[in-house]
Amino acid sequence: MNLNRIAVVAAKDLRLGPRSPIFLWVLILPVLLTLVLQVAFGSLFDPSPRLGVFDAGESRVTQLLQGADGIEVQVVSTAAEVKDLVQAHDLDAGLVLAADFDRMVADGARPPLELYVAGESQAADRMVLSVTVLDAIRSLQTEDAPVTVNVVGVGDEGLPIAVRLIPAIVMYALMIAGVFLPAFNIADEREHQTLDAMVVTPVKLAEVVTAKGLVGFALAIPMALVTLWLNDALGSRWPALVTVIVIAGLMYTCIGMLYGVVSKNIAGVFTLIKGTGIVLLGPAIFYLFPDWPQWIAKLFPTFWVIDPLYRVSVENASIGDLAGSFAVAAVVIAVVVVGVAAGVRRLRSRLGST
Amino acid sequence: MIVEELRHSYGAVEALKGISFEIRQGEILGFLGPNGAGKSTTIKILTGQLAPNGGRGSVLGFDVSADDPRLQAQIGVCFEEKNLYEAMTGAENLAFFGRLFGIRRLDSAALLSRVGLADRADDRVKTYSKGMRQRLMMARALVNAPQVLFLDEPTAGLDPVSSDSVRRLIREEADRGAAVLLTTHDMAEADELSDRVAFLNDGELYAVDTPENLKLEHGRRAVRVRVRRGAEVTEESIPLDDPDASRRLADLVSAGQVVTIHTEEASLSSIFIEMTGRELEG
Repeated sequence: MNLNRIAVVAAKDLRLGPRSPIFLWVLILPVLLTLVLQVAFGSLFDPSPRLGVFDAGESRVTQLLQGADGIEVQVVSTAAEVKDLVQAHDLDAGLVLAADFDRMVADGARPPLELYVAGESQAADRMVLSVTVLDAIRSLQTEDAPVTVNVVGVGDEGLPIAVRLIPAIVMYALMIAGVFLPAFNIADEREHQTLDAMVVTPVKLAEVVTAKGLVGFALAIPMALVTLWLNDALGSRWPALVTVIVIAGLMYTCIGMLYGVVSKNIAGVFTLIKGTGIVLLGPAIFYLFPDWPQWIAKLFPTFWVIDPLYRVSVENASIGDLAGSFAVAAVVIAVVVVGVAAGVRRLRSRLGST
Repeated sequence: MIVEELRHSYGAVEALKGISFEIRQGEILGFLGPNGAGKSTTIKILTGQLAPNGGRGSVLGFDVSADDPRLQAQIGVCFEEKNLYEAMTGAENLAFFGRLFGIRRLDSAALLSRVGLADRADDRVKTYSKGMRQRLMMARALVNAPQVLFLDEPTAGLDPVSSDSVRRLIREEADRGAAVLLTTHDMAEADELSDRVAFLNDGELYAVDTPENLKLEHGRRAVRVRVRRGAEVTEESIPLDDPDASRRLADLVSAGQVVTIHTEEASLSSIFIEMTGRELEG
């Protein structure tokens, strides 16, 4: 293996990248998929209710509202501005608190409270804001509330579907960059016979295949990180996250190289990916359906990188927690590498025979 | 280049049945044969793309079966298929292959100028005509100033201007000292360019010799004279070994009756058919 020749081939692929639809697809698809899924299941276009507050004094209500979950609070400098912003539907509601509002409430003086509501705001947002404001004001009173509310959860406590979709999206990002790109690039060179032109130069077929894998790996890592970031799932354990992503990228890239060396042409790559997509994406489906027997997911080779990814990004697992998964992943990668080496030898003999 | 008893089979099909030949530095060997004769298989073996089943090939002292990068560093290959990077420019194609040979600063402009593509250097190959692509293929085969050139049908389907340009390059490379293995269907091209020709058919070599020797060996030492007598034009064959040949020819010329005179030497095409029993095309 000559690193300089590998770098030459990889640099050529990276330079040609912007001229290749598949390369652009690698960069765009994970972002697009994230946006689509966030629209369908997430909160991208379903923002929290927005409340504007003009506080003429220093009311505790303002502090309480700012600390409340599920609403966005914007402190505004004049009462007129609150009204204007609500009227323009830049806010769902606006609250004007008098200078000595807290004292008057404490004295039982029942001070006036101006709460503007935007005509275009949603009923659910109005209700959330009204209840939150009333709750904050009630807390100023020294008396107990007339009733005690006990919140009783029913049904299993599960993660939102947007979170459970994260493995699928990240796997897709890894699959497109790590599997599809190297496989496509190798098959494309073979189909257009540029591979034949390369192998009569000092470059070895194994070096060409390695270069294709490197390009896929170099794109898979940032695309997986970007996808996690877009889904707010980077977690807080960076060393573990980076380790998982690198191992996952390596596994997917090796699979991509394997697909590339066994496919006669680009159509062959598509057929192979369509035929084996379930093996690559299978584990992600199990996160969507927690009622399914989860042990089945462990039968898929990609489970051993996707599960650590999920546990790091969602459950903040450490590297130590994931050692077992990493060991299995390393075995899977080793097996695929042996397959790639055999595939390269087979392709070398096929190139001369066609 | 030394080839001894080279054999190769694709399954049950014997593509090469033990062929032997040599090419010296600065020599052009025209490899002639119909499709399926084994020409491309020979090139694939000698360029290290295919392992032979038997015999041996040695190029510049390297065993071709060894897949040695030191050999590949000194050869140039022009494929019959136009396997260029279409999304890259002509200059980018050459620069990339130059880097594969370890040449960091290739003078692409000079190479492109040699093949008449200097003004299209920065255009993508997909905008090139067939002739331009073929000339770029030739330029690519020359990026490493190879000691041995393998040219597989380098002028197939080209217009006369592009063909002439490619032939001139081939001759220049041979004059520089490169050994050239040239496969072609074009007998006139083989006759014009080759120092020697090899007839290959069905995996067997039928002859390896200079075009001149083959024509002398298989042709007749005679001239065919077309003569006008009144309104009628007739043909007359005069054997050159006939003691009266000079007088008969002089009589015809002095009588002012000669329309045309041609030698009756054999063409490479007719010799090929005579030796192999097959037409060269197809």
